[in-house]
Amino acid sequence: MRLGMVIDLKRCIGCYGCQIACKAEHGTRPGTTYARVVKREWGVYPNVKKLSIPVLCMHCAEPPCVEVCPTGASQKRSEDGIVFVESDFCVGCRACVMSCPYGARYFQDEQRDYFDTGENEYEQALYAAHQAGVVEKCDFCRHRLEQGQEPACSANCMCKARIFGDLEDPNSEVSRLIREEGGFQLNPELGTDPSVYYLPPDR
Amino acid sequence: MMTTEAASQVYEDTWIPSACGMCYNQCGIRGHRIDGTLVKVEGNPDNPIGRGRLCARGLAGIQLLYDPHRVNRPLRRTNPEKAIGGDPGWQEIGWDEALDEITTRLKAVREEDPRGLYFAGTVISLAPLMHALGTFLPAFGTPNSFVSDGHHCGNAEHILARTLHASVTTNPDVAHCSYLLLFGCQAGLGTYYALTTMAQDVADARIRGMKVVAIDPFLGSAAEKADEWVPIKPGSDGALACAMLNLLLNEYELYDADYLRDHADGPYLLTEDGWYARDRESGRPLVWDANAAYARPFDATDLGTVALDGVYQVDGRPCRTVFRALREQVAKWTPEAAAEVTTVSAETIRKIAREFGEAASIGKTIVIDGQELPHRAASALYFKGAHGHDNAWSTSLAIELLNEVIGASNVPGGLLGTNPVCFGHPETGFPRWEPGADVDGLLEAGALLYNDPHGRSPGWPPPPTSAELPNLRDLVGWPITTCFTPAALNDHENFSFDHRPEVLINYGSNLLMSAARPEVCFEAFKDTFVICFNLHSDETAEALADIVLPDTSYLERLDPIPNFTRHHHPVGMGDWGHTIRQPMVEPLFERRHFSEVLLELGGRLGITEPMNLLTNHLYGLVAPHALAPDEQYTWREIADHAYKGWFGEERGLDWFEEQGVITWPKKVEEVYWKPFIHARAPLYNEWVKRSGEQVAKIAQERGMKGIDTEGFVPLPDWKPCRAWKPRDGYDLQAIYYRVPWHTFSMTYENPWLDEISRGEPYSYFVCINTATAHAKGIADGDPIEVEGVDGGTIRGRARLTQGVHPEVLAVANNGGHWAQGMPFARGKGVFFNQLLPMDLEHTDLVSLSMDCDARVRVQKVPEA
Repeated sequence: MRLGMVIDLKRCIGCYGCQIACKAEHGTRPGTTYARVVKREWGVYPNVKKLSIPVLCMHCAEPPCVEVCPTGASQKRSEDGIVFVESDFCVGCRACVMSCPYGARYFQDEQRDYFDTGENEYEQALYAAHQAGVVEKCDFCRHRLEQGQEPACSANCMCKARIFGDLEDPNSEVSRLIREEGGFQLNPELGTDPSVYYLPPDR
Repeated sequence: MMTTEAASQVYEDTWIPSACGMCYNQCGIRGHRIDGTLVKVEGNPDNPIGRGRLCARGLAGIQLLYDPHRVNRPLRRTNPEKAIGGDPGWQEIGWDEALDEITTRLKAVREEDPRGLYFAGTVISLAPLMHALGTFLPAFGTPNSFVSDGHHCGNAEHILARTLHASVTTNPDVAHCSYLLLFGCQAGLGTYYALTTMAQDVADARIRGMKVVAIDPFLGSAAEKADEWVPIKPGSDGALACAMLNLLLNEYELYDADYLRDHADGPYLLTEDGWYARDRESGRPLVWDANAAYARPFDATDLGTVALDGVYQVDGRPCRTVFRALREQVAKWTPEAAAEVTTVSAETIRKIAREFGEAASIGKTIVIDGQELPHRAASALYFKGAHGHDNAWSTSLAIELLNEVIGASNVPGGLLGTNPVCFGHPETGFPRWEPGADVDGLLEAGALLYNDPHGRSPGWPPPPTSAELPNLRDLVGWPITTCFTPAALNDHENFSFDHRPEVLINYGSNLLMSAARPEVCFEAFKDTFVICFNLHSDETAEALADIVLPDTSYLERLDPIPNFTRHHHPVGMGDWGHTIRQPMVEPLFERRHFSEVLLELGGRLGITEPMNLLTNHLYGLVAPHALAPDEQYTWREIADHAYKGWFGEERGLDWFEEQGVITWPKKVEEVYWKPFIHARAPLYNEWVKRSGEQVAKIAQERGMKGIDTEGFVPLPDWKPCRAWKPRDGYDLQAIYYRVPWHTFSMTYENPWLDEISRGEPYSYFVCINTATAHAKGIADGDPIEVEGVDGGTIRGRARLTQGVHPEVLAVANNGGHWAQGMPFARGKGVFFNQLLPMDLEHTDLVSLSMDCDARVRVQKVPEA
């Protein structure tokens, strides 16, 4: 099994729901956004286009971050291909942050809270799960998968633009969409073979 | 709810169903509470409002609950000098002390003249707002209420949603639509009603092949996804719609004659002076019976073929049909004429009009749930971008009539009123509301804001009678979100009011930022005793409040009907969902629910009895579930009465706290009601013409200045809004647009949403067209100053973009807070409303819509 995600750029309206769905699920600290949105604009008025591109960890089949990790903290799960960080092994060297071409990793250096007034009740409860001095990233919500749920970002997406499933199952929805709707990976030339695919915005 | 006791230290792990309150849509949510702390809010999959998917704002609501800057205890002003941006010198006081003083003040006002109590509210907290408007204020005896941000709401749209769709708002039936035309609106693509559900449905429809055309000066989130972006000069949408009507009616002949003849007033005859020609005996409007070659009442039992088009002699005088009048009215709006004022090319106007008319599939039908219905697969929808101008009425009417002429109104694929027909829960038949026809055969809405047991609310629109109320309810009583009060108070000599505001209760609204430039509301209430009941010590509280009372957020309170079911409920087939809002945590600190405090104040003031009777009316409660007049009820008891009254003895408050939402399937006769309820949509607005004459007469009798009734037109036309016209070297128009992750100005205090805006390229900047900026020597990121021709200057940083009309500056929402009590929000984004005056000159009197754009010039300024 190889778990992956299809992000339909035609459905996506760039609302940032994924960024906050992820934030709400994981309670990450300021500046850490496992899921985020990139906005691009091109053309000349009035023939101009904008595009919102949601990004997250690509869960590469050939992940450079795992390769460069000196301690084995960055790993790829053999059973489903999820790339994750075992925080207890991470020494915070940040080699993985440098090696990731998709900007998907976040070093937890500053222990800031959001309001700069000391952690509020919510932050006290949620930040306990986030160690200082380590690198954090998307893990396709492993804790939710264990309970039979899909990742928070795809479960919430109000345009149903994120579809999660098994890339190795030819009958899965993700496989069908990639096959029939022209699915593509970001930066295929890097040879990382991402497990996140995109569907073109104009089709 | 489920509480578990595990071996670990976790003593509580609970999910609680409720309703969101981060914008007016009130979607279904559920919250995860562990050991007393709310750790997550997400969509509730059991609730048809959102179906388990939530926008960024709703997901971020938890940071409103635990915001360290919330007001937690009552505050009293110690600095007697009130000033915008001044320091009130807050001193914490107890609830008893606060309510004692408020009671004393209110008692004195009520004895002197109850109209001395004023009330301002916000639509975000809809349920408590309705409770105040429906019970406390009328029981107290004051009519002086207003919605602070009312003119930024759908004033004109709400009127036409009522006359044409029997509702308060509209949404397109995208499940059966193939062509969606958006005029300054982002339905399902960023903002607007039932967003979280509409987003799913619009995405599905677009994948299915529905084409979206976005008419908007700014390439916002709807235009980004549209198949075609049509940039337009702000305030000119009405001219574009008139030209499209002209093409559909006079050139392409793409219109639904059957609909216009049988379901609208298309065949009604008009006299030369613009009134319905009426039967001498019955007073009923006349139509032309082509078989009898005679004018007869529209409801005559043996009518022959009714003529839709033409001019006929009635009593020796020529009478046009309404349809003919409309054709003639829009004839001057050639695509070329519209191109001049809109900057949209005539070629594009022709293309859109033809595509829209052809997509309507006039004459085709579709079978849904065994019923064969007209299928008109095109919708034109509009909101603030189009009607946020002082030509709002006429603009909105022109756009609405696009749907009417192709018959795409309350049928599959067309524009639907938001749920104007409800037959009630199958077991109780309640709540129930449905429209019908008035004596002229025209559509009359069912109960819209109240749960009247009879399901109807006749007697609308109220005729103009006087000009003695600052909210203009007696002059123009039909805009729901009346907003004009502060401007009228400042112009009180012109209006000659015989009373002044002694006390203002300001609930949940931030008047100084949300209405217009802050001086307007400050001037109106600076000598008034002001009570702010709010989440933060905001700009209004710090400038004006004598006492601030700490409100509960939507995550800490009980609201039995958070959304009054119909307005923000998704349209189309699917389920009804009647939701509870309940506390996910008990109110923190000393925060209290506004509705509970009003109950206590009612008891202190001795108005419990009228409040109870009005509560019965508000919730449509009849025996045995009606409140007894003389009993003092708790808020929970009232909720229990309401639920049992609607859904049966076994489904009281306990049931809803456990289940969260009750659902049942919608019927096709409810959703696509137009073929089933014989009530005609008025294309011709005789009532507006009549009201205009009455308003003019009242103004003349009272010697009032500035009451311009030229806009009271029965058929659409276009005139420029004030900001449309270039003046004195002010060469640009400034507009605001809305982003999907902010609600007005209130969410700028939310750090998760702020993080979005800081990472997003546009929303904290002033967007200016790249070529325009270059011509002015402005580079990306430059500090700039935008100066309005009618006063007001705003500052921000320039964001150069190709995605905005060259004559337009675009600002997201309304940011730039300055209150000490909102330190996180302070200085973020741009305070757009500083550019907006608020007066008769900038207001469309028919709809109380204000020009929400401004004629400006821009210059680069040195770094601060």
